[in-house]
Amino acid sequence: MGLHGSAVSAVSGRPVVPPSRPRAVLHRVTAPLRHTPGRLTAIMAAVVALGVLFGATALVGVRQRAALVRGVTVRSGELLVAAQNLYRALSDADATAASAFLSNGLEPPELRARYQQDLADAAAALTVVSAATDGRSIAAVARITARLPVYSGLIETARSYNRQGLPLGVAYLQEASGLMREELLPAAQELYAAASAELDAARDRAAGFPWVATLFGLTTLGALGLAQVYLTRRTNRLLNVGLLVSTGAAVLLLGWLIASAVAAAVYLKASRDDGSAQMNLLAEARIAGLQARADEALTLVARGNGAAFEQHYVVVMQRLAGADGDGGLLGEALAAASDQPTRQAVEEAIAQCRAWITAHRQVRALDDRGEFNEAVRATVGPGDRTTAAIFSRLDEALAQAITHNGQRFEREATSAGRALTGADVGFVALTVLVLAGAVVGMQRRIMEYR
Amino acid sequence: MTVRHRVGRLLAGLLAVATVVGAAGCGADDQALPDHRIPADPPRPVGMRDPAVVPSAATNSPGSCNPRASLRPTGPLPPPRQMPARTAMARIVQRGRLVVGVDQNSYQFGFRDPLTGELAGFDIDIAREIARGLFGDPDRIQFRAISSADRIRVVKDGTVDMVVRTMTMNCERWQEVSFSTEYFTAGQRILVTRGSGIESIAQLRGKKVCAADGSTSIRNIAAAGTVPVSVVNWTDCLVLLQQNQVVAVSTDDSILAGLAAQDPNTQVVGPRFSDEPYGIAISKASPELVRFVNAVLEKIRADGTWTRIYNRWLRSLGPAPAPPKAQYRD
Repeated sequence: MGLHGSAVSAVSGRPVVPPSRPRAVLHRVTAPLRHTPGRLTAIMAAVVALGVLFGATALVGVRQRAALVRGVTVRSGELLVAAQNLYRALSDADATAASAFLSNGLEPPELRARYQQDLADAAAALTVVSAATDGRSIAAVARITARLPVYSGLIETARSYNRQGLPLGVAYLQEASGLMREELLPAAQELYAAASAELDAARDRAAGFPWVATLFGLTTLGALGLAQVYLTRRTNRLLNVGLLVSTGAAVLLLGWLIASAVAAAVYLKASRDDGSAQMNLLAEARIAGLQARADEALTLVARGNGAAFEQHYVVVMQRLAGADGDGGLLGEALAAASDQPTRQAVEEAIAQCRAWITAHRQVRALDDRGEFNEAVRATVGPGDRTTAAIFSRLDEALAQAITHNGQRFEREATSAGRALTGADVGFVALTVLVLAGAVVGMQRRIMEYR
Repeated sequence: MTVRHRVGRLLAGLLAVATVVGAAGCGADDQALPDHRIPADPPRPVGMRDPAVVPSAATNSPGSCNPRASLRPTGPLPPPRQMPARTAMARIVQRGRLVVGVDQNSYQFGFRDPLTGELAGFDIDIAREIARGLFGDPDRIQFRAISSADRIRVVKDGTVDMVVRTMTMNCERWQEVSFSTEYFTAGQRILVTRGSGIESIAQLRGKKVCAADGSTSIRNIAAAGTVPVSVVNWTDCLVLLQQNQVVAVSTDDSILAGLAAQDPNTQVVGPRFSDEPYGIAISKASPELVRFVNAVLEKIRADGTWTRIYNRWLRSLGPAPAPPKAQYRD
């Protein structure tokens, strides 16, 4: 208290301060450092402080990373799957409702069941997405929540008019499809893009390099080295077992820290390249296929007034398969396919897509000649050469590839988490060794001076 | 500066820090819930325009012709399958079927019955009567669904023998093809909700009225001071009327009849305010076929077939009028 008190009085009371005063204070504080035992104690304190900082940052960092990796798998990954399900279920509802209209009045029960399943899937996925969505995407969730009941209302109106044999049903179907394409699908796409961006951001955070802990680790090692050198000079003893143990533990800790972070980052990168990136591409292709399918049905249902839908079909098909049937999203997916099952599924999808393009041309030729019933038979009739049969094989192949890559994503992301298993316990144990080694090793030398 | 003072100050400081930290901690729970109001606008049919683009006035000169005047039949109808040699009729009989371009999208005139997928309607039945005249069998016929824009082309290039597709005869079209005598007189009227109290176009001034994109009907309703709303297909107009997005639909009564037939809560009201005589388009190269078709039309006007067909499809326009009188130019 005396030191502090006199300083206060020096500031407030007397303006003239002897120039020697601060230097005297410094002199008194650093007095013990002019003797070896004091210096050793100070070095020990510095090493212990650095060791504690190192251990603490490493531990906090690895726990944070583990939480982030868990977030990638259980939160961002699930959110992406939910957003993708929402987008797919809505596109599927659009395609299924239109296809059901091709079967004169009485829709096939399996199409009705599929449409109902689509609405249920969309609602379930929307619940997950809205629970996980933050401020930016909430407008899109609100839009879908508000418009989905309106959409299904229009579809039911269309259906009851169709069952009475009235063309008014087609007008309602087209209005419903317009609502789906102009409001619901863009909102779903927005949510899907947001979920995809969130996954990427979470993955980048989880794969970050532990700079702070590494810096403290290197500093700790440096301090341990200096202490070793100082001790060797002062005591003429080459090795200090305590410090050796401490240094070894610090090297191990640093190595483990870096290795676990790098391993996690490698697995996370694989979860993108061999998992979610391909899943995204395949899902986009699947949705494009569904839209082309809806267009094909809507063109026929429009009974000669469907030119706009056919134009949309051409645009979507171009995006799906390119100009010649082997480019587009499917071509990209094939180029990006990084394992045999994916490649096989995409090749199957490309083959089916080519068959579809040919069959679609026949359907259009029949319909353009006014042979509507023949065109409908070539679309939804019996047999496995109809566009409906070809499309469902295409859809099936893509669905399989998406599931497969979803599993790969999960596997890699789980491996990333496993790379961090036991790190927290290990880090604590090694930190204790670093500290104990330094204290024991140096305390013994300090004692020798007493 | 006593110790107690300092402790007091320290406590005050700690309290301040605790308050700030506490407030920050609570922040997450106090966050306002998202607020998003979605407008409850009714959905719009694809391609709807409100207000509609009003097409510019027709450039075709009225011409100095009578569009209703066709070629006179030569005597009574020949027996089925026994057509004079080297005529269009003989070629059709030899082919075994009559090929007719029709609409498949105009309810009650030419449309696909959603239950059977087959074409049906007023135009279709008229075409079948011509097949009956040629073959004695109304089913000896092949329909080609064609678009409105293709009507003249398919007649000129011989893709079809004739077009029966709600086609208005005018002097401009007479330059390209020949027409039969008038088989239906259409005119623009309005379709409103039953009990709306609206009886004429004059009551629609300033109100929204629906018509198909690019049709001449838009020009007529815009001239009457209404706010025209356009859609791609006529049936979309009925959707808008049912959803209270427009007050009325206005176009040829032939189309309105098809809309009214789909919703008993609507009715066609008011007088006709345009004149659209419908004829069957036939190639200019086959005047003998025009004369034959006119003979068939004379027969069905006289024997009640025309009235029967009218009552089958167009009951929603009220009781059948007398068939349109044939007019000839020679």
